[in-house]
Amino acid sequence: MEVFQALQRLHMIIFSQNVSPCGKFLAAGNNYGQIAIFSLSAALSSEAKEESKKPMVTFQAHDGPVYSMVSTDRHLLSAGDGEVKAWLWAEILKKGCKELWRRQPPYRTSLEVPEINALLLVPKENSLILAGGDCQLHTMDLETGTFTRALWGHTDYIHCLALRERSPEVLSGGEDGAVRLWDLRTAKEVQTIEVYKHEECSRPHNGRWIGCLATDSDWMVCGGGPALTLWHLRSSTPTTIFPMRAPQKHVTFYQDLILSAGQGRCVNQWQLSGELKAQVPGSSPGLLSLSLNQQPAAPECKVLTAAGNSCRVDVFTNLGYRAFSLSF
Amino acid sequence: MAAVTDDEVIRKRLLIDGNGAGDDRRINLLVKSFIKWCNSGSQEEGYSQYQRMLSTLSQCEFSMRKTLLVYDMNLREMENYEKIYKEIECSIAGAHEKIAECKKQILQAKRIRKNRQEYDALAKVIQRHPDRHETLKELEALGKELEHLSHIKESVEDKLELRRKQFHVLLSTIHELQQTLENGEKLSEVEEAQETSMETDPKP
Repeated sequence: MEVFQALQRLHMIIFSQNVSPCGKFLAAGNNYGQIAIFSLSAALSSEAKEESKKPMVTFQAHDGPVYSMVSTDRHLLSAGDGEVKAWLWAEILKKGCKELWRRQPPYRTSLEVPEINALLLVPKENSLILAGGDCQLHTMDLETGTFTRALWGHTDYIHCLALRERSPEVLSGGEDGAVRLWDLRTAKEVQTIEVYKHEECSRPHNGRWIGCLATDSDWMVCGGGPALTLWHLRSSTPTTIFPMRAPQKHVTFYQDLILSAGQGRCVNQWQLSGELKAQVPGSSPGLLSLSLNQQPAAPECKVLTAAGNSCRVDVFTNLGYRAFSLSF
Repeated sequence: MAAVTDDEVIRKRLLIDGNGAGDDRRINLLVKSFIKWCNSGSQEEGYSQYQRMLSTLSQCEFSMRKTLLVYDMNLREMENYEKIYKEIECSIAGAHEKIAECKKQILQAKRIRKNRQEYDALAKVIQRHPDRHETLKELEALGKELEHLSHIKESVEDKLELRRKQFHVLLSTIHELQQTLENGEKLSEVEEAQETSMETDPKP
């Protein structure tokens, strides 16, 4: 039994993380379909012991890996093997927590159930966007649970989604190498950026897949097979190319920096001009997700957490160094 | 009651002067020497003893005054420390506020820096493209060339049309001439045929 558990931990990959709306808990989903809830406030407090770095509760959420999670102000939504399940944050710490509801978007064939790689909340419409293996973006209304739109356009599966707040547009990046912008009101594709066609950033030996996307209204960062590049959306021009050889799997804007993580141990901090400001090593050999806890209700738990190809979640209290690691 | 006050008295006396050297001993000696002086007989000895007693008394008074002064000093030190403590608390609160202010300023500065970097990034891209005036001039020149060439094309086409029309006229007149010549031949043939038929006819 112990050997089995040790083997499980050795081969664990944490795909997704999400912070609770109160800011004090962190949920992490792994490739076995389990979700673990860690208490950030306990782990960050001055009397933290070894047990506070272990999860408060772990439960089997899905049959397949949990690829993506988002939080509304009361629910945790997790998705992986073709279904979206919702859990109440208030109940999640109790043993034997059951999901509130589960939904499956309408797929073309009922034979194969494609995985859901990315979830995105659109607060203005109170809806959830799912995207994954069937190359479409499905919109689901959170009040009624019905699937309202299906956006077509990608020719291969979709890796990541990002929301552009000012004009309610969604960006999606996928295996076909294109970043597509969709207008939610007209349900049409407004812009397509084929990253691999631009010579400055394409790296044919890595492929053309887009692994990560982040947007800041007028600007967008995307990376993966092609190099990590900063794009100006209105003119669709690549402005800065970040000199990072390893493909990046997660990128996000933070204050005046861009944080990225991917193959390789480190969390990289870039300035918009393309300079590498810092590279902070973590404890996993490769990182798949970053999460910044900026919930206003818990300013003392304002940390950056990084997780990837191991059973550990690194916690950075100050962007300069790794404070400690939580572990499954 | 008496036992309690006795305990108190003993504790106080031990606290003040436990080891028996110093003021307590002096007061005991004074009392003893007073009793001795009362019992002494001769005048000079009594006088010298009296002097000695007065000096011990003055020593006791001196040490009492010293202790009173020290007590005063302690009280004032305490007040002073209280004042300093309050000042330090005020300055700590002030420092906290300044820290919060500075944090806000840092956020603002980071935003400004981000905007500047975005501007720089766009500016770099724009720099790579050629100047707008030059491009406009090139466009104008190209436009003029285009106009010029289209003029030439028009004139050439006009010439071609004219020549085509003239050829057409020429060819049509040739055709007409041909037609008339053919018609003329046919007419003369018909006339010949009529003449031969007229020659053969009048016989019968």
